[in-house]
Amino acid sequence: MTDVMPERPARRLKTWSSLGKLRRLPSEYEIVTHGMNYTTRTGRFAALESNPTTPTNMWFLTYRDHSPLRAEDWSGFRDPDELTYRKYVTIQDEQETVVEGILDEYGPLAHDQSLEPEWIEFLSTVFTPTRFPAHALQMSTAYMAQMAPSSYITNCALFAGADLLRRVSLVAYRTRQLNDATSGVAGIGVREREVWQAHEAWQPARQMLEYLLVAYDWGECFTAMNLVVRPSLDSVLLTQAAELAHAGHDELTWLLLSNLAADWARVERWSTGLARHAIEQRGENREVMLHWIDRWAPRADAAVSSLAGLLAAVPGGPDQGEVVANAVAARDRVIAAAGITG
Amino acid sequence: MARMPREQWYDIARDLDWELSYVDHEAVFPEWHSGQGKIPREAWARWDESYKISYPEYVATQREKEAGAYSVKAALQKSKVFDQLDEGWKSVAKEHFGATAAIEDMAVYAELRMARFGLSPAWRNMAMFGALDETRHAQIGLQFAHELVGKDPQYDWANKAYQTNEWGIIAARATFDGMMMTPNVVDTAVQLPFTFETGFSNVQFVALAADALESGDINFANMISSIQTDEARHAQQGGPTLEILMEHDPRRAQWIVDKTFWTSARLFAILTGPGMDYYTPVEMRKQSYKEFMQEWIAEQFLDQIRDYGLKRPWYWDEFIAGLDTWHHSLHLGVWYWRPTVWWKPQGGVSPEEREWLNEKYPNWEKQFGWMWDVIIENINSGRMEQTLPETLPWLCSLCHLPVGTAASPNNDKYPVRSYPLKHNGHTYHFCSRTCRQIWWEDKDTLHDPTVIERLLAGEIQPPTVEGILAWMGLTPDVMGDDAYGYRWAKAYVPAAAAAS
Repeated sequence: MTDVMPERPARRLKTWSSLGKLRRLPSEYEIVTHGMNYTTRTGRFAALESNPTTPTNMWFLTYRDHSPLRAEDWSGFRDPDELTYRKYVTIQDEQETVVEGILDEYGPLAHDQSLEPEWIEFLSTVFTPTRFPAHALQMSTAYMAQMAPSSYITNCALFAGADLLRRVSLVAYRTRQLNDATSGVAGIGVREREVWQAHEAWQPARQMLEYLLVAYDWGECFTAMNLVVRPSLDSVLLTQAAELAHAGHDELTWLLLSNLAADWARVERWSTGLARHAIEQRGENREVMLHWIDRWAPRADAAVSSLAGLLAAVPGGPDQGEVVANAVAARDRVIAAAGITG
Repeated sequence: MARMPREQWYDIARDLDWELSYVDHEAVFPEWHSGQGKIPREAWARWDESYKISYPEYVATQREKEAGAYSVKAALQKSKVFDQLDEGWKSVAKEHFGATAAIEDMAVYAELRMARFGLSPAWRNMAMFGALDETRHAQIGLQFAHELVGKDPQYDWANKAYQTNEWGIIAARATFDGMMMTPNVVDTAVQLPFTFETGFSNVQFVALAADALESGDINFANMISSIQTDEARHAQQGGPTLEILMEHDPRRAQWIVDKTFWTSARLFAILTGPGMDYYTPVEMRKQSYKEFMQEWIAEQFLDQIRDYGLKRPWYWDEFIAGLDTWHHSLHLGVWYWRPTVWWKPQGGVSPEEREWLNEKYPNWEKQFGWMWDVIIENINSGRMEQTLPETLPWLCSLCHLPVGTAASPNNDKYPVRSYPLKHNGHTYHFCSRTCRQIWWEDKDTLHDPTVIERLLAGEIQPPTVEGILAWMGLTPDVMGDDAYGYRWAKAYVPAAAAAS
C-alpha cells in the first residue's frame, strides 16, 4: 500500500465518472438520476448484500434479472419529460392550482345540485368508485418502480404512482362534495366499495386489476399496465367519461377528468419511449411484449366492454360499441407508438 | 374560495381496501413481503398516521422548500465559501455525500415496498409520500455534490460509492439492505422509519446542520436542514406499525428494535463519530460524539421505546461503554487505512486537539494516545511507510467493520479480540458478542462474506494491495490521505530538533 500513495495524478472531472465520456454537459435530470440503483451494480453476487438465497434476492433474480424483457443497457433510457423531483412538485403544484381554480369556478353546491338524477347515478357508478381501481394501479405502479432495472425507469414510475395518489385524492374530494350536495340520497360517498365489488359492470375491470397486482415479472407488469390496461381503461374512465360529462353540461367533471388525463399522457410518453428503448436494445423484446399484450388485451377488452355499457346507458350517451372501439383504438395507438406494431 | 378542509374528505382518500375475489389475499400480500405474522388482518384498519397531509398540500409545501433550498445554492454559487472551508470539514461532507446519497435512494425502494405491500391503505399512501421525500433527498444531495466534482474528484463518490466494493460501503450496504430491503415491510417500518430515522438520522441531521453552519459551510447546512424538515413526516410510519406489532407480537417488536439499534449504532460510530471528534475543527465542535449520543440518541431512544412498552436492549451497557471507544478505534483504523476511503481523514491529534479529547474522554490517552505517539514518531522521522498498512484487518461477519473496533487496547472489559463462532465447519469472527448473537439468530439471511473472506476465497484478483484497492473501485486520485498533509504532527517535534 505504501507504493500506492505517491501516485496522485490530477484529474479534473466535469461530471460523474459513471456517465462516461459525455461529449456534452449532463442535464440536471441526468445528474440526479443516473446510476442510483445499486442493486443492479455490475460484478455483484446478488442484488442485496445478504445471503443470495434470501427471498428478496430470489425475488429480484426471478422477476427482474431473469425477466424475459432484457436489455444490455437499461440506463440508456431517458424520460422524455426529464422529470426530477423539483420539476415534478413544481408542475403538479401548478396543476393543483388549476384544479383549485376549477373547483372555485363551479361553486360546489350550486353546480352539483343542478345535476340531473340520472347523471348523479352515473357519477356514483362510474366516477366516484374509481378511487379503488386508481389505488390498485397506484400499488402496481409502486411495484413496477421498485422492480425496474434502472433508476431512470424507477423515477418515471414513482412519479406515475404519485399521480395516482393525486387521482385518488381528487376523486375522494369530489365524492365528499357530491355527498354533501345530494345529502347522501344517491349513495355517493357510501356505496362506492359495494359498486366496485359487486356491480356487474365493474367485475371484469376488477378481475383484471387484481390479476395485475400479482403480475410480478417487472416487464409483464410494465407492459400489461402501461401498454394495455391503462390505455384501455383510462380511455373510458378519463377521456370518454370526460366527453360525456361535457356533452351533458357537467363542466366540472369534464375539466377535472381532462386535467387527470394529462398525467396519463405523460406516463404514455415515457412508457412508449421505454418500450422503444427495449426493442432497440434487443429486437426479441418486441415479441416478448407482444406475447404479454396478447395475454392482457382480452382482459382489457372485457373490462372496457362491460364499463362501456354504463356510458351507453346515460340518456344521450354514446353507443356501447363505439366506446369499446375508441378504447381499443387508444390502446392500439399506444402499442404502435411503442414500436411494437405497425 | 379555498378548498374544503382536509378533514372533511381525507378519510375517503385512505378508505381503499376491498375484499379480493379473483386472486388470493396471500398472493397479493405474500407473507415474507407483507409480514403479517401473528397480527390479525383486521388489526391494520387501526393504522393511523399522526401527521396528515394531502396531495395538494404536499406538492405546494415541497415546491416551496425546493425553491428555497436551490435559491440559497444559487446565491452561493459564485462565492468563495467552498475554497475557504477547512479540509477536515470537507471530509465530513465528502463522507456524508458518499455514504448517504445512494442510501436515500435505496430508501425510495423501501418506501415503494411499503407502498405496495403495506397492509393498510393509509400506510400505503403515506409510503408514497415517503418515496417522494426520499427521492428529494437523494437528488438534492447529488445536485449539491455535483457542483464540487470539478474541484475535487472525491466528490464523485456521491454517485459512485455504492456501485463499488469499498469496504465501508459493503458494511453500509449490509446494514441498510438488512434494514430496508431484506425484511418484510412491517419489520422495515419498525427498522427504518422508527429505529433508524427517528432514532438516528433525524437527530444526526440537526447536529450536522449546526456543525456545518459553525464551520462556515452554509450550502451544506442549508441542504441538510431542508432535508431534515421532511423526516418527521415519513418517519412517522414506524409508530403506528410498531403499535400494532406490540399489541400482537411484542417479542418480535423487541427483537427488531434491538438488533436495528445495535447495527445502526455500529455504523454511526464510523459515519458520524470521527467527523464530530476528529475532522471538524476543534474550535467549531459543539459537543463530543459521546455527549451527542448520550443526550440525543441514547436518552431519547430509551424514552421513545418506553412509550411503546419496549424494554431496554440487552446489550445497553456495552453500547454505552462503546461511546468511549468504538469511534476512536474506527477513526484510528480509517486514518491508518486511509488509501481505502474516498475522503481525507484528518488525524485530529495535534496537542490542542489531544487536550480536547482527553477532556472529553478521560481514558483516551491510556487507550489510544500511545498508538498515536508511535504514528507521530514515524511521521516526524520520515518513516511514512510505517504509517501505512501492508495488510487488511479481519472484519466482523455481521457489521463488516474491523474486528477490534468494538473494543480498545488496555480495556479489561472490552479488549481487542475476536468473538468467534463455529458453524457448519466454518469459523466466523465477530467484533462483539452482540454482533455474534444477532448473526446467530438471523444467520440464514445475514450470511454474507466479508472482504477478507472474499480475498481468501480468491474472488479478488490479483490478491495484492493494488488489486484490492482496484477491486474496491479506488483510483489513485481519490484514495484518501491525511487532510492536513501531516502538519499537525510537527508540533510534537522537540524544539531543539526542530531548530537544528
